[in-house]
Amino acid sequence: MARMKFLCDADRCIECNACVTACKNEHEVPWGINRRRVVTINDGLPGERSVSMACMHCTDAPCASVCPVDCFYTTDDGVVLHSKDTCIGCGYCFYACPFGAPQYPKVGNFGSRGKMDKCTYCSGGPEEDLSEAEYVKYGANRLAEGKLPLCAEMCSTKALLAGDGDIIAEIYKERVVTRGYGSGAWGWRTAYSDTVSV
Amino acid sequence: MLVKRRSKDATRSGLAALAQNVAAKPVDRRSFLRASGLAVGGLAAIGTLGATTVRRAEAGPTNFSQPIEVKTNICTHCSVGCTVKAEVQNGVWVGQEPAWKSPINRGTHCAKGASVREIVHGDRRLKYPMKKEGGKWVRLSWDQAIDEIGDKMLAIREKSGADSAYLLGSAKMSNEGAYLFRKFAAFWGTNNVDHQARICHSTTVAGVANTWGYGAMTNSYNDIRNSKTIIFMGSNAAEAHPVSLQHILTGKETNRANVIVIDPRFTRTAAHATDYIRMRPGTDIAIIWGIMWHIFENNWQNQEYIDQRVWGMDQVREEVKKYDPEEVERITGIAGAELRRVAQTFATKGPATFIWCMGGTQHTVGTANVRTYCNLLLATGNVGSVGTGANIFRGHCNVQGATDFGLDIGSLPCYYGLAEGGWKHWARVWDVPYDYLQSRFDEVPAKGGRDPRDRKANMEMAGIPSTRWFDATTLDVEEVDQRDNIKAMIVFGHGGNTVPRLGDSLKGMNALDLLVVADPHPTTFAALHDRPDNTYLLPISTQFECNGSRTASNRSVQWGEKVVEPIFESDNDYAVIFRLSQKLGFADDMFKPYEMVQGKFSMEPTAESILREINRGGWSTGYTGQSPERLKAHMANQDKFDLVTLRAPADAADVGGDYYGLPWPCWGTPEFNHPGTHILYNPNIAVKDGGGAFRPRFGVDREGETLLAEGSYPVGSEITDGYPQFTYGILQSLGWDVDLTADELAVIQRIGGNDPETMAEVSWSLDLSGGIQRVAIEHGCVPFGNGKARAVAWNLPDPIPVHREPIYSPRPDLVADYPTAENGRQFRMPNVGFSMQSSAVERKLSESFPIVLTSGRLVEYEGGGEETRSNPWLAELQQDMFVEINPADATARGISDGGWVWVNGPENDSKAKVKALVTERVAAGVAFMPFHFAGWFEGVDQRGNYPEGTDPIVLGESVNTVTSYGYDPVTGMHEGKVTLCQISAA
Amino acid sequence: QQVNPTEQSVTEEQLFNTLKDEEAVSGRVSIPDKQAAGLIKPGNKSWAGTHNGLVRTLTIVAILGAVIGLALFYMIRGRIRIDGKFSGMRILRFSAIERFAHWLMSGSFVVLALTGLNLVFGRIIILPWLGEGAFSTLTHWGKVSHNYVGWAFMLGLALAFVFWVAHNIPEKLDVEWLKQGGGLFKKGVHPPAKKFNAGQKIIFWSTMAGGAILSLTGLLLLFPGVQILGLGAEQADWHFYQLVHGLVAAGLTFIIIAHIYIGSIGMEGAFDAMGKGDVDLNWAKEHHSLWVDEVQANQIEKITPAKGTQPAE
Ligand SMILES: Nc1nc2c(c(=O)[nH]1)N[C@H]1C(S)=C(S)[C@@H](COP(=O)(O)OP(=O)(O)OC[C@H]3O[C@@H](n4cnc5c(=O)[nH]c(N)nc54)[C@H](O)[C@@H]3O)O[C@H]1N2
Ligand SMILES: Nc1nc2c(c(=O)[nH]1)N[C@H]1C(S)=C(S)[C@@H](COP(=O)(O)OP(=O)(O)OC[C@H]3O[C@@H](n4cnc5c(=O)[nH]c(N)nc54)[C@H](O)[C@@H]3O)O[C@H]1N2
Ligand code: HEM
Ligand code: HEM
Ligand code: SF4
Ligand code: SF4
Ligand code: SF4
Ligand code: SF4
Ligand code: SF4
Ligand SMILES: [Mo]
Repeated sequence: MARMKFLCDADRCIECNACVTACKNEHEVPWGINRRRVVTINDGLPGERSVSMACMHCTDAPCASVCPVDCFYTTDDGVVLHSKDTCIGCGYCFYACPFGAPQYPKVGNFGSRGKMDKCTYCSGGPEEDLSEAEYVKYGANRLAEGKLPLCAEMCSTKALLAGDGDIIAEIYKERVVTRGYGSGAWGWRTAYSDTVSV
Repeated sequence: MLVKRRSKDATRSGLAALAQNVAAKPVDRRSFLRASGLAVGGLAAIGTLGATTVRRAEAGPTNFSQPIEVKTNICTHCSVGCTVKAEVQNGVWVGQEPAWKSPINRGTHCAKGASVREIVHGDRRLKYPMKKEGGKWVRLSWDQAIDEIGDKMLAIREKSGADSAYLLGSAKMSNEGAYLFRKFAAFWGTNNVDHQARICHSTTVAGVANTWGYGAMTNSYNDIRNSKTIIFMGSNAAEAHPVSLQHILTGKETNRANVIVIDPRFTRTAAHATDYIRMRPGTDIAIIWGIMWHIFENNWQNQEYIDQRVWGMDQVREEVKKYDPEEVERITGIAGAELRRVAQTFATKGPATFIWCMGGTQHTVGTANVRTYCNLLLATGNVGSVGTGANIFRGHCNVQGATDFGLDIGSLPCYYGLAEGGWKHWARVWDVPYDYLQSRFDEVPAKGGRDPRDRKANMEMAGIPSTRWFDATTLDVEEVDQRDNIKAMIVFGHGGNTVPRLGDSLKGMNALDLLVVADPHPTTFAALHDRPDNTYLLPISTQFECNGSRTASNRSVQWGEKVVEPIFESDNDYAVIFRLSQKLGFADDMFKPYEMVQGKFSMEPTAESILREINRGGWSTGYTGQSPERLKAHMANQDKFDLVTLRAPADAADVGGDYYGLPWPCWGTPEFNHPGTHILYNPNIAVKDGGGAFRPRFGVDREGETLLAEGSYPVGSEITDGYPQFTYGILQSLGWDVDLTADELAVIQRIGGNDPETMAEVSWSLDLSGGIQRVAIEHGCVPFGNGKARAVAWNLPDPIPVHREPIYSPRPDLVADYPTAENGRQFRMPNVGFSMQSSAVERKLSESFPIVLTSGRLVEYEGGGEETRSNPWLAELQQDMFVEINPADATARGISDGGWVWVNGPENDSKAKVKALVTERVAAGVAFMPFHFAGWFEGVDQRGNYPEGTDPIVLGESVNTVTSYGYDPVTGMHEGKVTLCQISAA
Repeated sequence: QQVNPTEQSVTEEQLFNTLKDEEAVSGRVSIPDKQAAGLIKPGNKSWAGTHNGLVRTLTIVAILGAVIGLALFYMIRGRIRIDGKFSGMRILRFSAIERFAHWLMSGSFVVLALTGLNLVFGRIIILPWLGEGAFSTLTHWGKVSHNYVGWAFMLGLALAFVFWVAHNIPEKLDVEWLKQGGGLFKKGVHPPAKKFNAGQKIIFWSTMAGGAILSLTGLLLLFPGVQILGLGAEQADWHFYQLVHGLVAAGLTFIIIAHIYIGSIGMEGAFDAMGKGDVDLNWAKEHHSLWVDEVQANQIEKITPAKGTQPAE
């Protein structure tokens, strides 16, 4: 079974934010919620690199382990999803997530933050596949349509790779060998206790 | 395979159960209308709603079994030309999918392209025609709006002449729209017609065309995959042409190519370079000459290439001697060793390409900059073959096409000049008498010591550049070389905040008698001024709401299909131009060649029929082979084209052997089946396969030397040397005239008035039959001739470019040695740059304004930003206007990252309140501001000035409030990339 | 010299090596949410580990420990009864307002503790038998109550402090009381005590200290990113407050369970002090002899015959 992962090739990423707006477009993600974001390291200095980050769909996901209502589940593809019906908006997953993936419609003062939202790897949620309810709550379910995440599909430079972890690691390795340098598979160590060695 | 349910299946909420019931049969994802996509559905009835009731159409009961239509269009933002694949249901654009098949973008986009679907949600679009009445916006019907505008235009024409109406078109229009707008200006009778290229690549077009023939990108984004050395100078493609980086980075990786970025800022493009060189803004010529100094010094030039294909390089070589490493370092601050490295790499590690963009063009020396770049390419033999070239990354989605179709004060469609020959050519194509067109133009009385001009002279005189329209409104009428000042601005798709000296342009806006904004958005033209009356807003639909072709930067012409009907009460450019012409009384003549169909509110010409007319007239640029049928076949068969060569295999149905998008020149008639030209001036392949040579436009000899190529000619040429352009006479002398068909000959005879002498002069570009082109190509020859490129453009100021300091220079010492050009008059207007520069030095402005200010792009926004700042998916990403300032300058001024600052400009006490972004991206003493913001003016929020509901989400101060005077003498280009400023904490 | 931005690209490896443990890899983002600039925050993962490990374990240990301990105590010592008879005379121990403060504090504490504990291990115990939907609803409301009831607790805590602090200053006497184990473990032993004996003082101060810490950390958790008393508002700080909150809650709950035991079934007659406000004179003499003396000396009117009972002959 495929183990879906993301790999952002920082030597390709140009911070064009297509991944970000593609996600907004695909799922009608409201203002203020960023399922994906692009972080630039060493901004303005030689060595500057940008990394596009969303939920990494971690192995042994920390978010899932701290969720007081245990509303996370991992699909057979290794995608970490959660149920918005169950989520109480407590914010624990945000504090547990090493990648800042969980998002909330309200800023977490007093009372609730609203239901947590995060990258679904474009694979909806616990509702019926491709149902309206699923779309309204979680956005589109591209995986069920046999498509991959739109953010990666639309990435201007093909920096953002999505798909089976082994395959994208292979693609990345080839690139690093071809061009002779690489800045690492960002987040893999933290998310999967794994690095792509080249 | 993709099983995602967990075994302890999640609790199904009531809503899910409900949805499941409704969706009884298995449905596809798009099988319901997305809540926010409904804004545009079924708005046909909107006209009957009251002014206050324009609202999103409510969806009826959702029909879950609606079929999905896929429409293909092109991204309406930049010139890369990415294909957009739209999924449409019930007339609503519900989803955007990757357009995998496009060889240009292969499914990808940048932030702007990935969010274009929002454009037709259109929450903040203009919803219906409006005018300002007593300072308030009121709603109008289209009929009333056209009537009132027409009456006012006619009154102004009566009183002040046709030249008093300024017709500003758009690089966002389709080719057909741009062409129609140019034609409209001709029928109205003025050359005051312009578009964004003026403030963008006008200097490129002038510089390049004056060097080797055509003002366009020579190769393509895809072809850069072949390059081994790539220089970006004044181009930040990672932000401005993001998808091009897909090709560039892959090329860089697979070829281990050298990527050299020369830019004042350490840009996002620089972050991916192998060599970054920081420069002082405004010193490009000194740098290039500095590079060439090393090339000549070390004999790295490609002498064979120069001998065969370049004229005047020796003269350049002489001039370049003055730019020794010491002098270059004094001017630019760049050490000799660095430029030597660049010189060696560029000259010896080929194929090499040179990419430039606004960093080079937006200067008083813009045209000269461009010509130095060309010289570097020519000296190293890097034009006219695979992996080389002047890869000029153009601007808007159709700036190439709009330029080609003459939305330009100095030319007619397809670069036919304003001289009699050009006019007569188009009069023939348009099927109207030349005299009729002439009669539409003003007579200009003697003024300001100048001679009067009759209609013909006026018709042949270039108009006023868009950078100066406000000067032409407010300057003393004696100074403006036409009948009267500009009294009316008719703006079709152009921002109001994108020309420097916004404060002066505000005065211009206030002085106008009539201001018409025909645009999907109100733009700064509608919001900045204090005009209580006589301002009209016409809601134009976008290119996603009409059919038409657009030409990408690489000259590929792509057909865009209407995705949805115009939303709200908007209507397309074609219909509106038609209605205005009707009102103004020349529609019958102007529109008679077209197939007219019922549009949303009126009759309108079909894009196809306009394109066919272009095909009938666009010989000079090879816009004749791109018939609507062929273009549509290309869109339908995108996957047939090779990613690198852009060519389809010979056996591919419908598009066999073609280059993608039939990049111009695509010679002859559509039936001739020329494949288009992927790489310009390329003699390594036959002309019929897209080969070519430099265009001999400047005569056949000069100073006793030939201007025709020597020993270089396209593969398969029957003439194995240079030759001038083809005319019927030349065919005759070669004996090739016998190859013309009877029909072709008849056309030539008609054009030549059956007079053998005039007939002999009928050239490849005037022959409406295409016969001359066909015959030339069948003999392996280039219709326009085979000439040399000019290293020296003797007809331009500074025939060999010399460094000239910007008007506002931080180095008075250098101004003394390298002053800007003398004052003069160009384009009906005075240019007093020299006085401005001297006065700035006298007043020691470089001390009170010690920071060099430059400006440019952010990936998320485009142009004036009205469209993109209205798109929530983009607006969220950049919510504040800012200035990039070096930490040293910030610390010295007590400025902190994210804090508010005032940026003061050197003219008219101009100032802008923005946030500080403290970063080493800019050097100490240099600041950068993006130019996409507007809606604040000198610290004052003007949100209230927009008609309700049309204000962009994000507003901010415009950089052009603080930019300043300075115009390129060749094109009127502004100096948007260098001025001086002072910054202080607010 | 050549600036080659490609050659010098930052790698994740390098960053992890240069950063101290748990420090975030962060950069710049264009969106206003500056938290988003943190790219990889390994610390979050460790917090998750601690929360699920240390905090959860200690909490369970504390609760089970207290319950088991008291059960044993009850089995061995049984209920502590008044040695003598009920005197029939009542002595006023806590005024209405004092009792109000106590019940405000204690009631809210119970709600907070239950709803808080639910967050820690509800998913292990309650979820399996309530099911996802109901448990989510429960936890949601639990969380809401926790957020609101906290305010009541803080008010009660403040009042109790004001009313009782004077009686809770530690004294020499307390040492003696403690040496004798408060007489809890031996029948008939009653070391002298004032209004509050040393044991109660311990409860008092634990409650005050623990409550204060819980309130402070609670407030910091409630308003993430807001500085209170100049305390940091970074994410790492949040983690710290959360741990402190959880651990102190566990500790205090442990103590309070014991208190509740003594105040109710553990000791005969004790409940009346908070239930009715007055206690039987004999109970008072046994447990708070010095206080009774004091009261008898000054405020004799506070000792009244029990309603409905005949005065002893
Ligand atoms: N996201 C986005 N993309 C766009 C557009 C947009 O608005 N937004 N607009 C489109 C249009 S219309 C155009 S024309 C292109 C423009 O595309 P670019 O020209 O690439 O964009 P700019 O940011 O204007 O300028 C490029 C660089 O010029 C540098 N520069 C400044 N002064 C000088 C100088 O004196 N010499 C040199 N050599 N460099 C200098 C700046 O630092 C900047 O990095 O982008 C197109 N694409
Ligand atoms: N300081 C400074 N100033 C600059 C620059 C700079 O780098 N620095 N760059 C310059 C450059 S290169 C350029 S190109 C200009 C860009 O400046 P503008 O061209 O003024 O900017 P845009 O906002 O892109 O304007 C295009 C307009 O067309 C409208 N539009 C879109 N589609 C259609 C259509 O189909 N029909 C019609 N009629 N209208 C349509 C849009 O709503 C928008 O208002 O700015 C220039 N100004
Ligand atoms: C719900 C069960 C509870 C019962 C039955 C109970 C009972 C009592 C009683 C009877 C007293 C008076 C003892 C005396 O007469 O000296 C008392 C005092 C007190 N209680 Fe409680 N209580 C309960 C819960 C709590 C809680 C949850 C807290 C803490 C938050 C608390 C804190 C105190 C304090 C600080 C005192 C005063 C000092 C002391 O007597 O120990 N009580 N309680
Ligand atoms: C005094 C009694 C209190 C007890 C026993 C208590 C107990 C707890 C417990 C056990 C948790 C769960 C910790 C974890 O999951 O590791 C918790 C969480 C929390 N408590 Fe308390 N708490 C008390 C008071 C307060 C007060 C006074 C406030 C606020 C004013 C407060 C605010 C919170 C918040 C906000 C959380 C959850 C963290 C979050 O969602 O952000 N608590 N509490
Ligand atoms: S990235 Fe964050 S939200 Fe996603 S699985 Fe990992 S811990 Fe959970
Ligand atoms: S916010 Fe929702 S998903 Fe996240 S931990 Fe809390 S309940 Fe679970
Ligand atoms: S995978 Fe889908 S949901 Fe996740 S960031 Fe990408 S587009 Fe958004
Ligand atoms: S789309 Fe690709 S290149 Fe652009 S920011 Fe996202 S990951 Fe980077
Ligand atoms: S803006 Fe340019 S690069 Fe971006 S998607 Fe549109 S055409 Fe492509
Ligand atoms: Mo442009």
